[in-house]
Amino acid sequence: MQEFLQVFQREDFIRNFIVHIEISVLAVLFGVLVAIPVAIAVNRSDSASTIAINIGNLGRAIPSLALLVLMFPFFGLGFDNALFAVTLLGIPPILINAVVGLRQVNPQTLDAAKGMGLSGRQILSGVQVPIAAPIIFAGIRTAAVQVVASVTLGTFVGAGGLGDYIVEGFQRNSTEIALAGALSVAFLALITEILFAGLERGFTPKGLRIAAKRGK
Amino acid sequence: MDSADDPPTSTLALLFQSEFASEEQQNQGFIDWGWLADNFTEDVVPAFFQHIFLCFVSLGIALVIAVPLGILCARYRALYTPVTLITGFFYTIPSFAMFTLLIFIVGFSVGKTPAIIALVLYSLLVMVRNVVTGLDSVPPETKDAAKGMGLTDRQILFGVELPLALPVIVAGMRIAMVTVIGIAVIGAYIGAGGLGDLIFDGITRDFPTLWFTGAVLSTLLAIGADLVFVRIERMLSPWSRRARGAT
Amino acid sequence: MIEFKNVSKTYAGSDNPVVENLSFEIADGEICVLVGPSGCGKTTSMRMVNRLIEPTEGEIIIDGQKNTDMSGTELRRKIGYAIQQTGLFPHRTIADNVGTVPKLLGWDKSRTASRADELLDLVGLPPDQYRDRYPAELSGGQQQRVGVARALAADPPIMLMDEPFGAVDPITRDRLQNEFLHIQEDIKKTIVFVTHDIDEGIKMGDKIAILKEGGVLAQYDTPENILARPASDFVQSFVGGDRVLKRLSLTLVGDIDLEPANGNSGDLPHIDEKWNLKDALSEIIGAGADRGLVVTGGDGAEGGNGGSRGTITLDSIRKISHGSEVPRG
Repeated sequence: MQEFLQVFQREDFIRNFIVHIEISVLAVLFGVLVAIPVAIAVNRSDSASTIAINIGNLGRAIPSLALLVLMFPFFGLGFDNALFAVTLLGIPPILINAVVGLRQVNPQTLDAAKGMGLSGRQILSGVQVPIAAPIIFAGIRTAAVQVVASVTLGTFVGAGGLGDYIVEGFQRNSTEIALAGALSVAFLALITEILFAGLERGFTPKGLRIAAKRGK
Repeated sequence: MDSADDPPTSTLALLFQSEFASEEQQNQGFIDWGWLADNFTEDVVPAFFQHIFLCFVSLGIALVIAVPLGILCARYRALYTPVTLITGFFYTIPSFAMFTLLIFIVGFSVGKTPAIIALVLYSLLVMVRNVVTGLDSVPPETKDAAKGMGLTDRQILFGVELPLALPVIVAGMRIAMVTVIGIAVIGAYIGAGGLGDLIFDGITRDFPTLWFTGAVLSTLLAIGADLVFVRIERMLSPWSRRARGAT
Repeated sequence: MIEFKNVSKTYAGSDNPVVENLSFEIADGEICVLVGPSGCGKTTSMRMVNRLIEPTEGEIIIDGQKNTDMSGTELRRKIGYAIQQTGLFPHRTIADNVGTVPKLLGWDKSRTASRADELLDLVGLPPDQYRDRYPAELSGGQQQRVGVARALAADPPIMLMDEPFGAVDPITRDRLQNEFLHIQEDIKKTIVFVTHDIDEGIKMGDKIAILKEGGVLAQYDTPENILARPASDFVQSFVGGDRVLKRLSLTLVGDIDLEPANGNSGDLPHIDEKWNLKDALSEIIGAGADRGLVVTGGDGAEGGNGGSRGTITLDSIRKISHGSEVPRG
């Protein structure tokens, strides 16, 4: 137990913890910055939306570790490699949910909005996005958890992160070190899930929450 | 940037180079096609089939657990929330950590077993959720008509509900399969075999041919599985397809 | 005043026009009902007024100006729009929904809020109870009322209504129709009202435009004239085989000349003066009599001639249904 706690006090542990969070936060941020504008752009075209969803589905299939190592010829080892790969891995869930979410807004609601004189941009920002917000946030939540998990694998491309301790634990056959890594990663992932679930609820407009409760 | 050699400036150029290079020069390219040709059946193919084996077995076990569990949750709604929470909990834990916990806490020895257990646990959330959603999507009038015609509950379940729920269930299997293929790659680290072996070996031995092959093959496998399942999904719901006027 | 001038609409890739050479005028303050079977282009025609759909030929002139003289968005903010499924914004409160167009036009917050309250009151939803609710909390009938209030919010001179009372049960619909007609007496908007139900058209419309499949105008006239003199076989069959009876329903008992009641009117069926002639006819026939005693107020259960205004005879009803001019209440 002593040894276990000591791992957390190692200097490199704090550093790797921070690196892990750093890459995760940046990856989700970049993912959002890429996926949301694309989803908005394809919203006006049915065929473009479908293509976006298909690309998203294919992207979601790519194994995390495979993508990480495939980045090596371009980025070499380290932080950049992991960041780029993990960002790519996080984009599909956000993209798919954003495209589907925007598409699913009741066409009658959109017709009424247009008929009342809202401009295209006003309909998008005032009606479509708020109504699609819960679904979009669900996508960001999925991406965030996936990102945290993928950064763990960053150890294999020399990026650091908490995966380092799992590997070290296996290599030195040390339960304490391995568990320090595994439990902290699991903890991080769970915190992320809970955090984003809370955000999701926070960003759901009250009217939609009520509608969902009444099954409308 | 840290250690390691400078990455080749143009991977493609090198790939092409090795096509035309001589025997010795080929060994200096990024991908050693010669080695690949020689060792394909010995190293690559077994890894490939090991991987498929892992995934199929895991998905099969998950199916056997998830379908009855899902049916129960659909019937007894109170069960659904705790089941979702538990399966969701397992799903959130990163796979690499999950393997570690299974070995160091639960005490499994390295090999296929902990890998399969983890893969099953990861599939459960999606599978159960899709079984429930699929059963929910069966129109109540259809069940009512079946009951009114004198079918027993069991006949309704197997003859009406499950067939109608099948497209959604298969959609869940698709997500589960793709997820499992990806996680199984990591499972190689704890001795489960599969395409991940090529990747980890390649990294340790600094032999790009290996890890590149592993990465590409696992990606192709995952994408291929996705496309196959899409096909199956489409074949399974001809009635909705015709209603919508063909794909 | 809204004028359709040779308006046609054909969709690309199709040979048949959805609306063909439509020309007619809607006077200020009138409800003009567009009615016809499905595929007759009534909704398409309505949506060309606020340019949600653009005509392939012809123009629509509103108060002397072509409706293409300004941008579509600007035009729509001046026209009230109420559709069948209401299209209320689920993520906004009722008050916010009603205040949508005023807010677009830049009204200040307090003016918008008091206007929203005013309209909620007008459509029968007490503002204190309803302004902060959300659409999902309201029944279908209440949502339709909010839809009407929202369309009226910026006090537009023109309103487009596409089956605005269609998504509720017949009893609620009847009530909503009556309330709306009552409101219209005060506000006198120019309204284009689309429905597939000829009875609703007859009830709501000052003028009715009957459209045939393919968007052809079959007849454009007042309800009485259409019922009295259908212009074609199509119109005749569309308004229904009971058009004479329908026409009777347009006149109230209290508006026609009655015969004086004589002594032995004790056995006669009682006819409330607020009823229409069709219901009066039904009551008299059902009682097996040849006339009915017209009473004012209440249900006239008290005997005698107290509160009676006279009698109405089957004969007079028959004469009225034959006449070409029928006074409208």
